[in-house]
Amino acid sequence: MSVAFIALSILWLGLIAYAVLGGADFGAGIWNLFAVGPQAKRQIQLINKALGPVWEANHVWLIFLIVGLFSVFPSAFAILSIALFIPLTIALIGIVLRGSAFIFRTYAIDTTAPITTWWSRVFSTASLVTPFFLGAAAAAVASGKIETTNGNVQTDLGAAWMTPFALTIGAMAILLCATLAAVYLSVEAHNDHDETLAEMYRIRALIAGAITAVLGTLGLLLSPSEAPILWQGLLNRALPVVIATMLIGLATAAALYYRRYSLARILIILETAFLLGSWGLSQYPYIIPPHVTIENAANDPNVIVILLISIGIGMVLILPALYYLFSVFKLSTPAPDLEKKEEHTASEVSQEKSI
Amino acid sequence: MPDLLAARAQMGTSLAFHIIFSALGVGLPLLLCIAEGLALFRKDKTWMMLAHRWARAAAILFAIGAVSGTILSFELGLLWPTYIKFAGAVVGLPFALEGFAFFIEAIFLGLYLYGWDRLSPRAHWLCSFPIWISGLASAWFIVSANSWMNTPAGFVIKNGKVVDINPIQAMLNPGTPFETIHMILACYVATGFGVAAVYAFGMLRGKRDDYYRKGLMLAMVMGVIAIPLQIISGDANARFLVDAQPAKLAAMEGVFKTQQGAPLEIGGLADPNTGKVIYALEIPRGLSILATFNPNSTIKGLDAFAPADRPNPLPVHTSFDGMVASGFFVLFIALLFWFLYFLKKRTVPTNRLLLVGIVLSGPLSFLAIELGWMVTEFGRQPWVIYGYLRTKDAVTTAPWLNISFLIFTLIYVLLAVALTRLLLGVARSPLPKVEMPGNTQQPERAGV
Repeated sequence: MSVAFIALSILWLGLIAYAVLGGADFGAGIWNLFAVGPQAKRQIQLINKALGPVWEANHVWLIFLIVGLFSVFPSAFAILSIALFIPLTIALIGIVLRGSAFIFRTYAIDTTAPITTWWSRVFSTASLVTPFFLGAAAAAVASGKIETTNGNVQTDLGAAWMTPFALTIGAMAILLCATLAAVYLSVEAHNDHDETLAEMYRIRALIAGAITAVLGTLGLLLSPSEAPILWQGLLNRALPVVIATMLIGLATAAALYYRRYSLARILIILETAFLLGSWGLSQYPYIIPPHVTIENAANDPNVIVILLISIGIGMVLILPALYYLFSVFKLSTPAPDLEKKEEHTASEVSQEKSI
Repeated sequence: MPDLLAARAQMGTSLAFHIIFSALGVGLPLLLCIAEGLALFRKDKTWMMLAHRWARAAAILFAIGAVSGTILSFELGLLWPTYIKFAGAVVGLPFALEGFAFFIEAIFLGLYLYGWDRLSPRAHWLCSFPIWISGLASAWFIVSANSWMNTPAGFVIKNGKVVDINPIQAMLNPGTPFETIHMILACYVATGFGVAAVYAFGMLRGKRDDYYRKGLMLAMVMGVIAIPLQIISGDANARFLVDAQPAKLAAMEGVFKTQQGAPLEIGGLADPNTGKVIYALEIPRGLSILATFNPNSTIKGLDAFAPADRPNPLPVHTSFDGMVASGFFVLFIALLFWFLYFLKKRTVPTNRLLLVGIVLSGPLSFLAIELGWMVTEFGRQPWVIYGYLRTKDAVTTAPWLNISFLIFTLIYVLLAVALTRLLLGVARSPLPKVEMPGNTQQPERAGV
């Protein structure tokens, strides 16, 4: 097993982390769009409370991916930057507007001012646009339509990602984010003893999850013609993982149906991990099919070893800190030695004007 | 606009925007940490109020810093794929380490900003340490990568291929100690005087209570420690360039011809067409003395380099002099403040002229950072990796860079306007009411 493969596996784990954490943050932004009617204020408060403490940390996984990719596979990164210039630029604009609009609306002095409502809408729209283009970009890679000769991109800038396959996967990415967020929000609402909201997000999770499954199936049906290398890899290596992904999806739906919120949260994380895992496994050993492989794109092995060591040291610092962060804001049992004051009740939370 | 110019303009705008937030991201957490520490150990409400107020501003500023930093990390590839193919292979390590520092910062920032009533006062205060330490580390790592672009090291080119890569050597390239220290000090100077300017402005409008005096004092302490060190560091940087990047030094100082006993040109316009610095104050042999301590030493001029390898001295010289002038103005104000402070038996001086000077020092120290980056970036041209890769060869082949530049410029304008409105709103909102730790009540949350 080469060091490049180990590094790629770690990057893939980073991708999964970004999907289940950052993806859910986009999903929360999407649900913000649906926060209308008498429940609107409570929904927005729940979303702010869920996102506020963690979204910046969740977002860093994306930076980890970018930096990791250009350090370990510099030529692959250069090719992706050129071939996917348009979807990545649009996704970048979405990322920027999502983060800043969230802050502008959450920290607004006057929460009812028209400008705050406008920023709230920007936050939602950007949360919708970003996963679509990230998903389409990922599908463009998987489809094997990015042609290169000697590291020079040969593909027309729209050809790779404006395909039925890429657009389907883009839509699927939106729905996956929405499903993740709906499951998390139902857990948070349930923990806040707000059963009305928990119920609402449970239903939404089931609907969004069902549409995700339909789009996933459609993507799978398109694969043999649209992404032949991926399809071959899927049949050869990834079939058990794909079947597991489907079963976990059904289990998630069942957990939601029986209102086992915390279990559903674990299952949807597992579902996303298996989904991305099956993509990675199907695409092996290509980074960008049909020409760029792990071997021909990898940096000098000595450099990768040093990077792996520093990632190891970094993770020793990061993972306990992340656990501490999530235990304070997301888990019912906080980290030990944490002098936490009494739990907020749902009524207290809803009285908060700003966090 | 040609694609190369559009790409450079977009990158430059992105850097100019982001650098303000990175400087505050390094400096503000230290102020927060000190203010909250003073509040806890002296049981002082005013310090706690300052910490709360700064935390609210920090939450907004850091979010914008995070997203504007993301733009840059994407742009490294989207605008300069050939550059990142080269740099990623050699100097990816400090980028990766900076990523981890950013991670730590974001995690503890979340805990700090949203944990006021979830953590014990001590745990909350302790959360501010990783934030300022990782802010400091981020600055060091990312500037070491920029320094590598100026003084590349840690690789060999064989048959057109980059081989024998040593990422540690690349990170610890010759320029690293000079550039990193200069930038980190700049962050503390700018944050110190930036915050001081806010409180000096308040004092000018008649607010002279304990809250304003303490805010001003702490910010001035940070500024006054940093600014003399910064002047020394700047001097060391310029001297380092004599051998490391003589073309950049020549452009900075407006030296067109290689000469013995070179004069120091202060101000003026370094016109590349006539090869003269016009309207400048000239100090004979000044540059030779400053650069080498020898009035007769030879300083390389731009004529020592092929025309295709010369940076344009006009923006470089002007930016350089603007930076130095801002630095000395800020130093003067800092000295005056402390002179009056001790003269008046340790009371915060409230002389109107001095307060006006402090208000000016805030924007001027940020201007100095912007100009300093223009010196180092314009001064490195036409290279993106000095001596190895030209900027024109690094730009992407993707089309529509004009449109991309236009869109991002509009985004920056939008963000700047919205941010200014929001921060002014925060500054005008009533002061937070703070319950000191030890009380069983929870701190006031709304309006913090």
